[in-house]
Amino acid sequence: MSTTATRDPKSPAPATPATPARRRRRLRGSSTFNFWLFTGPFLLGLAIFVYVPIGWSLWLSFFDARFTVTPSEFIGFDNYRYMLTNDDFTGSLVTFTVFAAFIVPTTWAFSLGLALMVNRLRFLRAFFRSVFFLPTAVSYVAAALIWKMSIFSGVRFGLMNTVLGWFGVDDIAWLASPDPPWYWLVLVTVRLWLQAGFFMILFLAALQNIPQELYEAAAIDGAKPGWQTFRHITLPQLRATSTAVILLLLVQAYQAFDEFFNLLSKSTWGRPPLVELYYIALGENQDYGAGSAGAVILTLLICVVTLLQGKFLGFGRGDESK
Amino acid sequence: MPAFSNSSWDRRSVLRAAMGLAAAGGLAACGGNNGRGGGSGSGKRLVQYFHAYGEPGTEQAVKRYAKAYREAGVTTQWITGENFESKLFSALLTDNAPDLFEFHPQIQLVRSGQVADLTDLVEPVKDDFNQADIASHTVDGKIYGIRMIDDPQFFFYRKSLFEKAGVDVPTTLDELIEAAAKLTTDKVKGVFLGNELDAVIRPLIWAAGADTLDEKNRIAYHTEGVKEGLVKLRKLFTSGDLLLGAPTDFWDPSALNQGLTAIQWCGMWAMPQMQQALGDDLGIFPFPKVTDAGAPAVYNGGWSMFVNAKGKNVEAAKEYVKWLWIDQKEYQEDWALSYGFHVPPRVSIAESADKLKSGLPAEGVRLFDEYGHFDNIGFTQAMIDAIEDVVADCVRSGGDPEAALDKADGKVERELKKLFG
Amino acid sequence: MGSAGLYAATTVAALLFLVPFYLIVRNALMTDPEITGEEWKFFPTDIQWGNVTEPFDDPTVDFARSLWNSAVVGTLHTVGTLLVCSLAGYGLARIPYRHADKIFYAVLVTLMVPTAVTFVPSFVLVSSLGWVDTYRGLIVPGLFSGFTCFLFRQYFLGFPKELEEAARVDGLGHWGAYWRVVVPNSLNFFAAIATITFISGWNAFLWPLVIGQDPSAWTVQVALSSYMTNQTVNFHLIFMATAISILPLVFVFLFLQRWLVQGIAQTGIKG
Repeated sequence: MSTTATRDPKSPAPATPATPARRRRRLRGSSTFNFWLFTGPFLLGLAIFVYVPIGWSLWLSFFDARFTVTPSEFIGFDNYRYMLTNDDFTGSLVTFTVFAAFIVPTTWAFSLGLALMVNRLRFLRAFFRSVFFLPTAVSYVAAALIWKMSIFSGVRFGLMNTVLGWFGVDDIAWLASPDPPWYWLVLVTVRLWLQAGFFMILFLAALQNIPQELYEAAAIDGAKPGWQTFRHITLPQLRATSTAVILLLLVQAYQAFDEFFNLLSKSTWGRPPLVELYYIALGENQDYGAGSAGAVILTLLICVVTLLQGKFLGFGRGDESK
Repeated sequence: MPAFSNSSWDRRSVLRAAMGLAAAGGLAACGGNNGRGGGSGSGKRLVQYFHAYGEPGTEQAVKRYAKAYREAGVTTQWITGENFESKLFSALLTDNAPDLFEFHPQIQLVRSGQVADLTDLVEPVKDDFNQADIASHTVDGKIYGIRMIDDPQFFFYRKSLFEKAGVDVPTTLDELIEAAAKLTTDKVKGVFLGNELDAVIRPLIWAAGADTLDEKNRIAYHTEGVKEGLVKLRKLFTSGDLLLGAPTDFWDPSALNQGLTAIQWCGMWAMPQMQQALGDDLGIFPFPKVTDAGAPAVYNGGWSMFVNAKGKNVEAAKEYVKWLWIDQKEYQEDWALSYGFHVPPRVSIAESADKLKSGLPAEGVRLFDEYGHFDNIGFTQAMIDAIEDVVADCVRSGGDPEAALDKADGKVERELKKLFG
Repeated sequence: MGSAGLYAATTVAALLFLVPFYLIVRNALMTDPEITGEEWKFFPTDIQWGNVTEPFDDPTVDFARSLWNSAVVGTLHTVGTLLVCSLAGYGLARIPYRHADKIFYAVLVTLMVPTAVTFVPSFVLVSSLGWVDTYRGLIVPGLFSGFTCFLFRQYFLGFPKELEEAARVDGLGHWGAYWRVVVPNSLNFFAAIATITFISGWNAFLWPLVIGQDPSAWTVQVALSSYMTNQTVNFHLIFMATAISILPLVFVFLFLQRWLVQGIAQTGIKG
């Protein structure tokens, strides 16, 4: 990783005089001590606030846990059987797959396109970069509110319906019905708006790290600027970033919750797994056992996908990026 | 990182120091003070949960009643909007559970031992309650909750728009669909049933001559009449005469008040706000009959007070409930009539309620008495969700009604089996 | 694509990105009849400056308090996360230890588990600590982010060894080298992570919703959602509150953007 170029190399602070304590740290085992000194607080917190709830969920998934999180009736794999034969849950996995298959490449291409555009600007570059990045600051709550109440509101004073009205098109109730599936337009645009800017910045950073000589050499070899250099230089050079972006997008798609929850109420379609699980566990059903079983299934699925993706695209091994 | 690895007391004081001057006040109010355990003030401390009522003044009213109670300090958590159930149910799992809360009568709360038996509180004044309200809170002869208000839901319409379009008040679902078509213009839609249409599924079932469950707690909604009603509702949904995607839902009078629709399904609670906005240009009618065998229907919803049987202060909570919702008739009347209109479940209060004696409110009470259907305590939230999914599956998605009802049957049967064996 | 075409395309995209912001401001400064009126108006006939103070006057929601809570939670969340996660990331990246790999995988696994799913046990746990309605409850459980730790580890893997070795020669242990050399030379990266963390802290919704039982412990997102469902919907109030809730972050962004871009260039997930 060529990070020294962007970091300002301050000179190290003056040395402190030798002390016995320092000498003691040099003893064998000091690195073990230091390791725990650095990671201890984090690992302790992780154990308490992340691993305990995970373990608890795992435990719940084997019990008949309705209206309680301290159940006593062990029912083995019944919850898993119920969830895997539950059309709503398996359907939500399909929903997710459709959603991911669409949103991941779209966001990838869109944010790359923005980055390429901004990267070529000579004037007002910072201005445009800010404009595209600014939505990252907006919460899903606020964005869902704007989308639902002002842009894609199904009544005459919604922006989209107003614009369509100028062309003589009747009001469309964007979120009311799955047929035609306008709701995807609403869900995809809100996510693109919120996320594209962040990934654009990642691409922008990567673009600026591509050595200029590569393009010069390509020009000498007779490559035409435009598609050819993009295809043979830019894209391969962005491989590591692209992989990381796709992984992040995939995990985020799996965990999609907020905008679906806020925009699609009382629907039986367009529910990603987390929303489905929310209704099973936290909704009035309060079936924490089945909800936890679904969570375990979902987690396993994410692990498998991530490992496969890591195998094919080589991300997550960590040390390779040098 | 000492601030995060010491005891919680240290963490708190470190946090407080870190916050600096201005923050100290905020933390003091927030740090660990969840309204219990303090022991200050008069005796016990109780926490009650209310969902946020839309009518202005309601929150202040609930807190005013609580303040007037001398035996315990009562803290009110006023929980907004659609988050009420998840917040209530997750809180009930913890030590911070409320001692009393409002909800609807549902048998799973009784079966899981969540709500306390209030029979001894209600028994002395049982005859002064609307008997349907008593019935809907009774399981095996015991009464588990106290009704605070009854909220009939029916259609509201703009008389002037009916006159302009030459439309009469519909008496069948077919007539309602026709009326909606005539009333629709490029600015105003004919009818609004809420954005998700889930609010009218139970009225539709009743108006088709069916019921949610029969007296032996078996599925009673899966009939030809209901299927016919669903097909008709689908026709209305696709006609373009139905208001969809409105910024507010059926429980809010805005759609009618803002002139987005000519007819709206709503509750009597919104009547004062509508009268204020529309004056005399307002009428009401029940959900019209779906089939010849059916009858017009009104849903008598409402809210009831329950005592958390797993709480730490069950007796104190029961005393408070008795004091407010049995003894303090003045407050009960204020609660039912001063902030939006509700029908008081107490017969004596309903009889003396002048606000409900004339005009449109009186008409509302008539519909409540004549066509009203109350909650069935055996029909739980999971089952309600299941039949609401029927609307989503066949009316909004255009699926086969039979298949949608079959799917609901599966879920409802699973619940029934768990509850009644 | 010529320069003019490039600028045209960029401008169109930028305008589309600004539409939601425009709508927030437009609706925030209009009267409700204007917003819901039959004719679309691009700008308020009379700008309703009075709307600005309205969220603060609402008796049912203490909006100022919720802003303050969000600021406190966002700040402490950021400081805490940076401290805990950067130390751990450094330890995992740079301090040799036999089981470091296994521990790192144990951290990675937590990235796969959707938080909304372990939500109920987390809530019961935090509640049994008595942390409901407290800043602790809002902040502490969120500090231990596997993702942030992962980012720091990746970054520290690429940190120039020479700088550290110079520090070690000067007699500093890991701890001293970390604070005197590594951190001062990584401020861009810390700023980038700080920004992202602050945004996520400020914008978090589901956890604060359940932890903040009492309105005095509400964050601004919870307050916003309550406007959406609370009263008879009051458009200008909702949008004004939204505008005010976004404003601090917009400032944070404009101010920190330069470091952010430089910092993200170092996240270790670049080319």
